[in-house]
Amino acid sequence: MKKKYAAVVLLTGVLMLNSCAANNSDSSKATVTDDIKSSGSVFAMDTYMTITAYGQNGKKGIEAAQKEITKLEKLWSVTDENSEIYTLDHSGGTEVPVSAETEELLNFAIDMHWQTKGALDITLYPVLRAWGFTTGEYCVPDDSEISALLECKGVERISVGNGKAYIPKNTEIDLGAVAKGCAGDAAAKALKEHGVTSALLDLGGNIQTIGDAKPDGTKWKVGIRDPFGEGSIGTLAVGECAVITSGGYERFFEKDGVIYKHILDPETGRPADSGLASVTVIGKEGRLCDALSTSLYVMGLDDACAYWRDSVDLEMILISDDGGVYVTEGIAENFSPKVENVTVIER
Amino acid sequence: MDTKKLTCLGLLTCLALIIFIVELRIPDIVPIPGVKLGLANIVTVYCVYNYRSAETAMMLYSRILLGALFSGNLMALWYSIAGGTLCFIGMEILKNIIREDNMWFLSIAGAVFHNIGQIAVAVLVLKSTSVIAYLPFLMISGCIAGLFTGLCAQMVSKRLKRARKVS
Amino acid sequence: MKTRTVCIIITLLVLCTAAVWCLSVMRPKSGKTAVISQNGKVLYRIDLSSEKDRTIEVTYEGRKNTIELQGGRIHMKCADCPDHICVDTGWLEDGKPIVCLPNRLVIEYENGDIDGTAR
Repeated sequence: MKKKYAAVVLLTGVLMLNSCAANNSDSSKATVTDDIKSSGSVFAMDTYMTITAYGQNGKKGIEAAQKEITKLEKLWSVTDENSEIYTLDHSGGTEVPVSAETEELLNFAIDMHWQTKGALDITLYPVLRAWGFTTGEYCVPDDSEISALLECKGVERISVGNGKAYIPKNTEIDLGAVAKGCAGDAAAKALKEHGVTSALLDLGGNIQTIGDAKPDGTKWKVGIRDPFGEGSIGTLAVGECAVITSGGYERFFEKDGVIYKHILDPETGRPADSGLASVTVIGKEGRLCDALSTSLYVMGLDDACAYWRDSVDLEMILISDDGGVYVTEGIAENFSPKVENVTVIER
Repeated sequence: MDTKKLTCLGLLTCLALIIFIVELRIPDIVPIPGVKLGLANIVTVYCVYNYRSAETAMMLYSRILLGALFSGNLMALWYSIAGGTLCFIGMEILKNIIREDNMWFLSIAGAVFHNIGQIAVAVLVLKSTSVIAYLPFLMISGCIAGLFTGLCAQMVSKRLKRARKVS
Repeated sequence: MKTRTVCIIITLLVLCTAAVWCLSVMRPKSGKTAVISQNGKVLYRIDLSSEKDRTIEVTYEGRKNTIELQGGRIHMKCADCPDHICVDTGWLEDGKPIVCLPNRLVIEYENGDIDGTAR
């Protein structure tokens, strides 16, 4: 009888041990822990930003990213009286000290100005304000007012270096076209530093991803907003990258039957009328995509294609005013459009 | 318990185990975890009517333990034990009301009880009630599989009785 | 024979219940869950497919937002905010949350097919 009990105990013991072992190996390879999804949101830079991170480090990473975004917003806000940009705009032509982050971004924006042959201009702020796009109190400024304000623009007037920046009196800058993209880069960096390997940042419509796939192995699915209506014109499956769209639909007003859109052509000081309804730029760096989405919109279809042919690691989706969708060949396969008139742009 | 009964139970356990192992080889038809024919249940249903409950329980648990050991899927053991226990208790109670010629119904009831047991364990293990959503699907599959195994058991029972009479 | 009839009836009843249950389980998957949150905190989680038409009022620093649910859709009916962008956004859509920046209020779908929309 004793032998019998011993056998039973032994058998049960073996079973228990095995089941423990099986359990352990299961949890180590299973995605249970990787699938933990954390999300956080920030109200910054005039929009609503959400961060979704997967994995155990998600929460910590998101906190760090939120901190980073808030810090950068404090540096670059044009309305916050304590921000470096506000101080610079109100310096009245004196040199002001700036942080390394601001210095780097100013230099980047100036570089981009020359690279895009002037399509990106951070000194256009006074003109933008005259149109009311900064406050929402829209009005159409007359030609003489615009030309007077255009006199004061020009990135060549900015000098940056050694922790200091200078702009002449009456010139004002606004980093709106690059700040969100740059904040996205910084937030992504913060997330990665905290061990996050899979995350999606939605900074008021600027999408940036970390990790070439979600924990379930599928690519990130990013919708591209339909500039003519509600919803999206298609979805794009991407790995780690930034997907940033600019379009006139974001902010506009109508006066006397004419629609005025918020993206201004630096040359004329009037809403850019390039024949494009929206430009989406896909690339590695958020700030580059952010800057290019605005400037390629100003350039128009042909110049944008030319710019793309001269660049590397860059893809785009252009939507023209007549509803045509143009996709560069590098991402054509990953783009599933909901509309039919799609043209692939070749090198 | 006499030697003959012990031998018979041993044989039945073996049979159930073989059916169980063979069934593992059959690829899943429906992509829902837990949906399967449960052919080994034929033996259990047969036992419920032909042996005392303690004897059936011995056969059932030996089969479950050894089956888990042989298949190497020990996580599934807890699901099997819970499902098996509930199924067994339900059938033992019902056999007092349902006669042998309606064995198929007993089998269906057993299968449904088995599914409820499985889901209960899943709720405990996963600490989430969302798996309950699987239950209706498992119940439907359980009804079908239960009917099939029940009819099988009924036939087996009939033939074995005839065979016994002859011998 | 009588027991058999009862058995068949019970089996069919169980099958029918399970089938109806299956359908009810599958249905909400097509419906969507809207999340209303303020300053990052979730206030409401609403299953739009099963919710009755009603309005929800949310206040922030004395300012009021009125959210309306109607026929499985949700939108900002009116708001005590200076810009009214939230009201102008219209009905909630995939990948495009309704945001009231001044009142820190966000209405969005819990999870859609896509991870985000570039806009």
